[in-house]
Amino acid sequence: MSNQWLNDLRKKMEDHEQDVPDGLWEDIGNELFSDEDENMFPGIILDDDIQERKKISGIRNPSLLYRIGGVAAAIVVIFFVSKKLWNSNPGTGFIKKVATSQTKNEKAENNNPLNNTQNSNAEGYSDSGIDLKNNNLSHPIESSTLNTMAYENIENKAINSSADIFGDAKNDVQNTENVFSKNNPIIENRSPVNENKQADSEELITQPESKLPEKYAAVEKMKLGKKHDKKAWMLSMLTGNASSNAAEQQFPGYATMSGSPMSIDQVWSSANYDDDPLMEILLANQNQQVEAKLRHKIPITLGVSLYYNLGKKWGIGTGINYTKLSSELHSGSASNYIKGDQAIHYLGIPVQINYTVIKKGPFTGYATAGALVEKAVAGTLKTKYVVNDEIKEISEERLNIKPIQFSVNTGVGVQLKVIDKFGIYAEPGIGYHFKDNSALNTIYKEKPLNFNVKFGIRLMID
Amino acid sequence: MEENKEQILVQHLLLKEEAAWKELFGAYSRNLTYVCSRYIIGKEDVHDVLQNSFIKMFRSIESFEYRGNGSLKAWMTRIVVNESLKYLKQNSELKYVNHECEFPDIPIEEEPNLEEIPQTVIMKMIRLLPDGYRTVFNLYVFEEKSHKEIAALLGIAENSSASQFHRAKAMLAQKIKEYKMSKKAQYE
Repeated sequence: MSNQWLNDLRKKMEDHEQDVPDGLWEDIGNELFSDEDENMFPGIILDDDIQERKKISGIRNPSLLYRIGGVAAAIVVIFFVSKKLWNSNPGTGFIKKVATSQTKNEKAENNNPLNNTQNSNAEGYSDSGIDLKNNNLSHPIESSTLNTMAYENIENKAINSSADIFGDAKNDVQNTENVFSKNNPIIENRSPVNENKQADSEELITQPESKLPEKYAAVEKMKLGKKHDKKAWMLSMLTGNASSNAAEQQFPGYATMSGSPMSIDQVWSSANYDDDPLMEILLANQNQQVEAKLRHKIPITLGVSLYYNLGKKWGIGTGINYTKLSSELHSGSASNYIKGDQAIHYLGIPVQINYTVIKKGPFTGYATAGALVEKAVAGTLKTKYVVNDEIKEISEERLNIKPIQFSVNTGVGVQLKVIDKFGIYAEPGIGYHFKDNSALNTIYKEKPLNFNVKFGIRLMID
Repeated sequence: MEENKEQILVQHLLLKEEAAWKELFGAYSRNLTYVCSRYIIGKEDVHDVLQNSFIKMFRSIESFEYRGNGSLKAWMTRIVVNESLKYLKQNSELKYVNHECEFPDIPIEEEPNLEEIPQTVIMKMIRLLPDGYRTVFNLYVFEEKSHKEIAALLGIAENSSASQFHRAKAMLAQKIKEYKMSKKAQYE
């Protein structure tokens, strides 16, 4: 068999045509001519807005770059907006701080454990201290303060209304239920935002708020300043993140790692067993003043990032970050206590924008701002029950709550070029962590605004 | 002045005028869709490959040299074929079936007669060939490549190209035979 028929086949099929896929020309036209318009009719489309221009030029090579920039900007905008909204409903985060200082005074006053119990129970959230008198529900203003406290409580998902009833181990179940039911209507009664409270927290709110617009403005400026002149990649390895402040929380009574007082269930279940270590602790501390201390350790961060220089001054970068947050809980008295160790591991993706301020010899000074999205990937909670300085039981559990944590940061940095393309840098800055709405209690929640110093090495890639 | 028309079009294409490119698209897209469909089966994929091809043409029109009538079409076809191959390489790990025993060689005594078979039917038959066979067959028959060239293009051995081509040819001939027989049966 010869291949003649194949030649026939070719000839036969030569002029064959098929229907063009729908919308093909539209797609090609969009891709090729939406930016070509500018070349063809210069001057006609002069006042394109920046967005449009961005979109158009994004089709060419640096499209990925613009996408990253766009995402970064969008994240910042979302943060800003949500922050705004959040601020219009104050009293969730900052009042806590106001209240904390009160807690100590109050503690001094309340030596009677039973009173103490009732008091903090009404608060629902143990570190939001309220004066004893607030318990008087008949007083309208104070009761509304209470309402908002309860509201805050809900926000924090710490609806364990049982509070530290068990500061006194003699507390019986009836008491528990009693107080619990008393607390319920308060929670349900989500009254409109209290004026009082607003005034209280105003001072604290203004601080981060004034910072945010600044940051926002900076990002906006950067968007305008974006130009793609030269390509220069920079690989950066972040090797440390020393936050200057470890945080400590203190509450009267017992508390769990989440910072919330122990729930009824926890004590209920333990009360049924005589040999339960928790019960033993409760019994041993019967007549003692107990308190819970929650200490958040300095976060440890490791990361690798890639920077892309946009022109001489500006640079944008992204990468991957690992952060470990650990906290310690000591709940109980000096010799009889529950000790909890919590470790949460986060993986995050930062987006940073750099602006080179000064360049002198091997030194480069720059300012940086950015956002970071972190997701908790793993967490463990180790609990030790200690009675009379003796470890009775150790339990370890995995934390199933894996929240996503957003944060924004800004800072200034100094970079020293060691050899040709290799440099080290130090970057002190401040960061703000937004509430993640999870029950997990971390340093981010306790101290949303934190100072940190980053150290790292950078590699320039041409 | 038929040739000049093509040359004039090329000049306008070089200026990257949208109207010229639209004209080019209008004149050749149907044929190029056929070329692309020989290689690529998925409708969406054909769309993507053609889109990439036109973008490539747009970016590399400067490299086009006019060599008489039809050279523009040939140039465009080459680009579409190249883009199709690129796409196949990226998206379906081209399995150039090498097992000899998959089906026995079908001895074709007579040359298939293509006369009464519509183009669309032939197209359907080609598209029914397995990916690897089809690619080799297309390159050999329609792009008139030698097995050596095909081997280099696809990164396969020369004899693999030849054997796949023979199988593809046999399969197609068989399909044509079957088609004719079914037609015959209809008329009887």
